[in-house]
This record gives sequence, C-alpha cells and structure tokens, in this order.
Amino acid sequence: MQLTKHDFSASIAGRIRRDWREWLIFLAFAGPNVALFAIFTYAPMVNNLILSFNDWNMISSDKAWVGLQNYIDVFTDSQFSRIFLNTIVFTAASVTLVLALGLGGGLLLNQKLRGRNAARSILFSPHILSGAAIAIVWIYIFDPRFGLIYAVLHPLGIQSPNWLTDPNWSMPAIVIVYVWKYLGYATVIYIAGLQAIPGDLYEAARVDGAGAWMRFRHVTLPGLSPVMFFLVLTSILSSFQSFDIINIMTKGGPINSTNTLIYHLYELGFINFSIGRAGVIGMILFVLMFVVTLLQLRYLDRQVNYA
Amino acid sequence: MNKKVSRRDLLKGIGFGIGAAALAACTPAAPAATSAPQPTSAPAAGGSDAAITYWGFNGTLGKTEDDMVTMYHAAQSAVKVDRQVQGSYEETAQKLTAALAAKTAPDLALLSDVWWFKFYRAKVLMPLNDLAAGAGIDGSDFVPSLWSEGVRKGAQYWIPFARSTPLFYYNVDMFQAAGLPDRGPKTWAEFDEWAPKLLKKDGATIKTAAFAHTGAASYNAWIFQGVIWQFGGEYSTPDFKIELLAPDSIRSAQFYQDTVDKFGWAVTAKDAQKDFITGLTAATILSTGGLTGILKDAAFKVGTAFLPEEKQFGCPTGGAGLSILTGTSTEKAQAAAKFIAYATGKEGGAFWSQNTGYMPVRKSTANSDSYIKYFQTYPQTKTAVDQLPKTRPQDAARVFIPGGDQIIGKGLERIITGKENVATVWKDVTAQLDKEAEPVKKDLIALGA
Amino acid sequence: MNALMERDAQLIAQPAPAPSIRAEAALSKILGYSAVIVAVLIIGIPVFWLVTGALKTNREIFNASPQWLPSHLMLDNFANAWNGAPFGRYYINSFITTILGAACEITMAVTTAYALVFVRFPKRDWVFVLLLLALMVPEEVVIVPNYLTIANWRLVNTYAGIVLPGASIAFGTFLLRQYFRTLPPDLIDASRVDGAGHVRAMISIVAPVAAPAVATAGLLSVVAKWNDYLWPLIVTTTSDMRTLPIGISWLLDQEGNTEWGVVMAATLFVVVPVILVFLYAQRFLVSGIAAGAVKG
Repeated sequence: MQLTKHDFSASIAGRIRRDWREWLIFLAFAGPNVALFAIFTYAPMVNNLILSFNDWNMISSDKAWVGLQNYIDVFTDSQFSRIFLNTIVFTAASVTLVLALGLGGGLLLNQKLRGRNAARSILFSPHILSGAAIAIVWIYIFDPRFGLIYAVLHPLGIQSPNWLTDPNWSMPAIVIVYVWKYLGYATVIYIAGLQAIPGDLYEAARVDGAGAWMRFRHVTLPGLSPVMFFLVLTSILSSFQSFDIINIMTKGGPINSTNTLIYHLYELGFINFSIGRAGVIGMILFVLMFVVTLLQLRYLDRQVNYA
Repeated sequence: MNKKVSRRDLLKGIGFGIGAAALAACTPAAPAATSAPQPTSAPAAGGSDAAITYWGFNGTLGKTEDDMVTMYHAAQSAVKVDRQVQGSYEETAQKLTAALAAKTAPDLALLSDVWWFKFYRAKVLMPLNDLAAGAGIDGSDFVPSLWSEGVRKGAQYWIPFARSTPLFYYNVDMFQAAGLPDRGPKTWAEFDEWAPKLLKKDGATIKTAAFAHTGAASYNAWIFQGVIWQFGGEYSTPDFKIELLAPDSIRSAQFYQDTVDKFGWAVTAKDAQKDFITGLTAATILSTGGLTGILKDAAFKVGTAFLPEEKQFGCPTGGAGLSILTGTSTEKAQAAAKFIAYATGKEGGAFWSQNTGYMPVRKSTANSDSYIKYFQTYPQTKTAVDQLPKTRPQDAARVFIPGGDQIIGKGLERIITGKENVATVWKDVTAQLDKEAEPVKKDLIALGA
Repeated sequence: MNALMERDAQLIAQPAPAPSIRAEAALSKILGYSAVIVAVLIIGIPVFWLVTGALKTNREIFNASPQWLPSHLMLDNFANAWNGAPFGRYYINSFITTILGAACEITMAVTTAYALVFVRFPKRDWVFVLLLLALMVPEEVVIVPNYLTIANWRLVNTYAGIVLPGASIAFGTFLLRQYFRTLPPDLIDASRVDGAGHVRAMISIVAPVAAPAVATAGLLSVVAKWNDYLWPLIVTTTSDMRTLPIGISWLLDQEGNTEWGVVMAATLFVVVPVILVFLYAQRFLVSGIAAGAVKG
C-alpha cells in the first residue's frame, strides 16, 4: 500500500546506505508501541471477531458456534437502521461543528490578544470535566421550562423545545454537548498546527499584496493541512465511539433517538449479556471506521504532501 | 519494589485515618439504633474465623454500608467483612463478569433485581437455603413478596437486602393551595378529577404539571409495572407468555398516554425526582429509595401515599439483594450468611434501612423499637412500610428477559412521548420480548426448571 | 505567564509598518476581542455554573429560577467532598498513574513518530496504518479480555496493571507524525553530516523544534490518563489503589439522592490540577524555538 509518493524524508534517507542498522533502529523506536497494541488491542479485536460467530453470555462455560446467526439477528433488528443512521448523523454533525468552530477558535486564540491564555483555558476546560457533572449542568440548561436556553429563548417569544424528552430534539442536544466538550480540544490542536507555519510566509504574502482572505486561503490552510488531516480523522474515529455523553445524558433515548452503534454495543454486551451480537456491532463499527480512514488516507493525506 | 510496598503501607495508614475521621463525622446523624460504632482496632490478623470479600454499594449508600460493616465488626469478631466498591450496579455486574472468568470473584455480591437472574442463569450463584438456616435466617420472617422473588425451583439464590418499592409522592403545599385533602388519590379516576386544580399553565407551556412520568433511562418500566397491574393487566406470565396485548394491558398504556395527550395534566420529566423537588410537578411516583433525599431537599411539606388503584391495587418490589458466588469455600459461605443475617436483622438491617430509605426486609426488623421511634420522626416512611405487604414480585418479562426493562421502557416512551398507537407499539414490544425470551427459556430447561 | 503576557503586550504595542495594515490590524483586533468574548461566554457559562454549584446547596442548585450566585458560600461542600472518599490517597494514585502513563505515551509517541518519518523501513506506511487500526477498536471490546490478561500476569490492583494496557499510543504518534512531516528536510540532514545518530537527532533537534506539538500531545495524554475512569475502576479492587475520577463516583448515589454541590466541589479537585498543567503547558504551545532552530 503506497500511501505517499512525495515523502521528502525519503530523500534524506536515500543518501544513507540501506543497512540493517536502520531497520533495527526502526524496530527499537516503534516496536514497543506496536507490541503493546498487539497484546491489548489487536488480540482482543481478533477475539471479538471470533465471538461474533458464537452465542455466549460471557460467564457460562458453554459457548456455541452459531455461524452468521448473530449477524442476521443484528441486521434484521427493526431498530438497526435507525441506530446506524443516528451514528452517521451524530458523527457528521459533531465533527463538522467541532472542526469548523475549532478552526475559528484556533485562529482567534493564536493571535496576540490580551488574556488569550485565560480564554484558551476556559475553552479547554469542558474537555477535562467529568461526565456526571456535565450531565447535571446540561440537564438543567436544557430544561424546557426553567433552563438557561429557555431563559434566552423566552424573551424572544420562542418556545423552548423539550430537548431531552422529545425524540426530535434529543440528537441536537447531544451534539451541542459534544461540541461544547470537544471544541477546546480541537482549538488546542489547531494552535499547535498554526505555530508550525513560518511567519515569513505571511510576510511574503503581505509583500505580494495578499489580503486577509488570500493569506488564509494560500498560507494558513495549506500550512494547517497536516494537522487538519489528523483532526478530521481522529475526530471522526472518536465521535463514532463517543459513549460517555450519551450514556449519562439519554441512555440512547428517548425512543432510540440517540442510540448509536457504540451505545448499542454496550447495551447488547453489558446489559443483555449477548456477547455474540455485541461482537457483531463491534465488527460493523470497525469496518465502518476502517473504510472512512482509507478514504481519508487516499484523498487527504495526498493533499497534505503537495502542500 | 520494596520501596513501593512500604509507601503503600504508609498511605494505607493515612487512608484509614481519613476513613475513621469521616466515620466519626457521620455517626452523630445516625439514629439511636445502636451506640456509635467503634472502628475496629484489630486488623485482618485479629481473631476472626473467616474473612469474606463483599462487593457492595458505591456512593453515599456505600458510606452507610461501611458504617454498618464497622458496627458488625464491633458486635462480633468471628467474621471479618472486606467491603469493596466496584461502582454502580452496571459496573459491578460488568466487573463481576470479568472477575468470574479470571477467578477473582468475591464471596458475596450485591446484585440488583434485573442482574441476579443473569448470574443465576450462568450457574454461578450458590443455593442459600441451608446456609441461611445455619446462620439463623428464617425465611418466614421476611416480607413474603421480597423473599419469594429470589427463589428458583424451591431454592433461595438471592436474599433481599436493599429493597424498594414505588411510592406516590405529593406536594402537600400545592394540594392545600388547590383545596385538596392531604392524602394521595384512592384511584386514578380521583386523581384525574384533582389534576386540573393542580395544573398551572403559561399559555401552552405547562409550568407546574399535576404528575410527572419518568423516562426509560430512569426505569419507567418498573414504575409502570404497578400501573399495568392496577388496570388488571400484566407484562407476562411467570412462564414468559407476554400479555401486553391483553385488553387491560392496552387500557393501562392508553391511560398513560391520555394523561399527557388527552387530559394534558402530566409531563414526561428528564428527572422526575428533580422536578418534584423543584415544584415543577405536584405529584409523581418514585422509588422509596429516594425518600431520604427528597425529604432533605424539598422546600415544602412532602406527602407520601399508596399507589392509586384502578381495578385493583398493584405495586412491584425492586432494588437489590445479596448473593453468594459458587467459587466460595463452605467456611466463607457460612461467614457470608452470618453477615447477611446481620445486614437484614434488627441491628444492622434497621440501621441500614433507616439511613437509606430502603425497606426493612424482615417483619421483626420493622416491628423493632428503633423502627417505632423512627416512624414517629419520619411518618412519611411508614406509608412505604405499610404498603410493603401488598406488593408483588415483578413480572418475568421485565426482570428475567435480558434487556426486558429497556425493551418495555422504550415502548412506553413511544406511547407517551411519541404518541404512537398503543396496540401497534405493544405488538412490536411483544415480538421483541418473545425473541429475547428464547435463550432464557432454553437455559431454564437446561437448568431443569 | 507574566513574561508571556509582557511579550504579548509588546507585540500588541509594536508599530505597524503601513497605515492600511494598521487599520486592518485594528479591525481584526476588535473583531478578535469580540469573538473571544462570545466564545468564552458560550463555553464558559456552563463551566461557571458548575463551579459556583460547588458553593450551593442542593436546594439552590435545583431552584427553578436560576440563582447565579449562591446566597451564602457553602464551603462545607468542599469538606464533605474531601471526607466523602479518600481523596488524599486518590490524588497520589492519580499522580503516579498519570505520570507513568503519560510518560510512557509521550516517549513512545516521539520515538514512533520519529521512526515513521525519519527512519528507513520497508512498508513503514503499513506500520502507520496498523497504528491507526488501534484507534478503531472500542474500549468496550477490549476491557474484559484485558482484565483477563492483567489477571494472568497477576497485576490486578497494581499501578502496573492500571498503566500497562494504556501505555501505547496512537493519537499522539499520529499527531507528531503529521507535524514532523512539515519540518524542513535539511533539519535532519545537517546532523547526519557530523554523524549524530538517530537518538541524538530525535532528542536534540526534532523534539525541540516540534515543541508545540510535543507539548500538545503530552497535554492530551495527561488529560486522558487523569480522567480515565472505567479501566482503573475495573482493574483495581481496593480503595487504596483507586484514582480521582472514581472518587467522584463515590459521591453519587444509586437512588438519585446525590448532593450535587459536593459532587461539583469534588469535580474541582479533579479539574484544578489539569488546568494548572494546561497553563504551564501554554508556554510550550508557542513556538519561539522552532523558528530559531530552522533559521540557525
């Protein structure tokens, strides 16, 4: 699999003899990381694949091979299409918002403004807060009769929706909390990326008479692209697996309106003790994320290299 | 390594110091059931016959449980209980699953009403009849509906400990302001007459509801278990025949939907307990387990009453009980049974239930002097205890079918919040329950039930 | 902090070269400040409400008409939180496991990313994809198998048991790989001439130049380890091995009788050290060194 064509480090290494010492160094540098993953991540995943063909409750000693039955059960479940769709909607909405607003935050707080350290800390702080505390704050904010959002909407004559008990509004509510929690994370990553863009590029663009938008378009965005690629991919992967907020705020409800694949996996595995079917969901999630990653690698990583 | 061990020991000392201080800080609040508990000075090396590991409650309930264990150690020295916390019911069950596979399971575990049966099906729970008798636990002293819930094929696998029931809560101040008597409604029809007087609206927005329903995330299928019985229906028969499409079952759900839709005096709350405390609803049905907190947090006079009737009275039991795991040695199992006897008895059991709001599970405990005194101080709790003999164990569909609680609960949400046709929803739910019941029936046949 | 602010102040005070640029800069300043204020308000109000919750009683927190400030300061909440769980011990455990875990992660992130970008190895992009695969495995899938592994190794209820399964890192490696690839090629070349090995190149050239990214990756590692809840809960059995986030769950209640003010006070126990780390890490998020190293 050739992922990169123009890898400039290849030109450096090309001058060096291809000797085994280089390979040993690679193994010493990257080996421990991969080895730990092999034990604690890859092996359980392979195990999960095997379990997806079994009927097992995780405790009893009898495990029965059932072939594709679990897959059939999962796909024919009347709620499955809704859960799948919820997952896509949640991921698309939350990733888009986090990345777009995070870019704004990053650009803003990378400027030399007074008090930006304090502002960065405040933006980042939701990322550190524990789930239970977040739930109590947001359940209050979303209260349709007395919550903060009601307080803002009421004077405008708008009736606040029943955010958490109305199946049409629960998904937006969950997305709002997710964006609130992860915005600071994206901002901090963007700032690190912005710091990598040499200041002389902006100077040069200015000398050439480029306006703010042109500088953003031709200097900032290309310079950010490696970090942006990282952010897009990791945000997608982590929002596919975002469990905490759903678990503490809605438990997938009301009426499965916020039930996503990862929560469904938890329901099947740890509430229903149906490890085989949970294994199927694990595989579906994995394949979904794998496909998304490959697509991204094909299109985005290449652009990164041209930059 | 040496260094680490010594530092750990040192910190263990500090930790114990803090624990003791915390204990000293909370004992004055404890009722006069016993004299203030003394922290045992003798550590594990002392003259105890058996040391057992117990996985119990987390949170504030865990602290009360800690105090009870300390009292137990002060009262006797034969059994030493190492109480450990593994998180919520769900987290404890998750960890117990892993620990059973790794053979690191505890001797005694706290399991909720929907969890213990899964472990029973996996054949990891010990039959307790002989052990209980050996420890002086008399089954006939227990409230029958609670005791019988843990029996399978004549053997006891799960002994009631932290048991609760639904209870009707009402805001006495609001009832008075509306000119209503200071009591709960006898029937749902009566409440339907009262409700418009309790309802306060600002245009289309309900500011104060007459009644608040809980959502599926807060176990609405447990609360509704009582309602469906009141209407003469049931979730299922004991042998898993789903009865949701019976006329009375449909009628009960239709009534629930009407309270929100047609009558318009009820709402579905995100957190019904919070709504009640803050005065957003005049009445609700919640667990007795929440009573202590509600009495503390509510700024108004709280009334409690039996659940309303329709065709008849109906109220399920709930909460958690204690089970001994099969990997435990006979000696430790006997010790664990002794601890169960204490934790449900006049001393430990009374301390426990009075400090948590859970029900006294034994009749002798409920009739003890400390309880008579306690009822005088907190008359609201007497309602719950009086209601207890009228309760029944829950239908198999909710507690024994994996995920049954959530399947029914989400169906109820479709009916109440989604305003869907009751029969359509119950048909879907029946199909789902039937499907999930299959493996359970198979297991039960294998177990010879 | 102060030095940085002074520097910011100087930069702000610097005279701009041309009037049009000055106007543009002034406009962007105004826009910048107003945008910052809006962002801080939207993100900060829930945080503010949470922080002040630590000073309120349940009754005030649940008050239907919101009370922005507590009527009197419930400092008792902090005492009750501290006594509600052995937080002193939990702090020590959290410090130990966070430092060990984050140190492992950041070391491996730097070495692996360096290897992926600067060390020749056949099919090293496959190794990169292999690392990405790790990001696609849900925690719920690995928890029980890993408990069995750790139990087999007799590491249940030890620091090693808490740290080991999370010691490897994909996120940070990925971030650093992306960053390293933007570095000018001649950066490494120069060191090769005088025969410096990969280890030296990594430590003395690449890592300092990439300081903002390394600091970011480190910060995120620290936050992740510090907040980790489920695994430490599962792999420890006794109270003396538990970590801070588990302490908060001690204050919650199965029956909903939770003292929220106390919980929020305890939340502050967990949050404040990370905010301090964040403020400290800020100085590394600004690359002064990078520019100098490349030019020199």
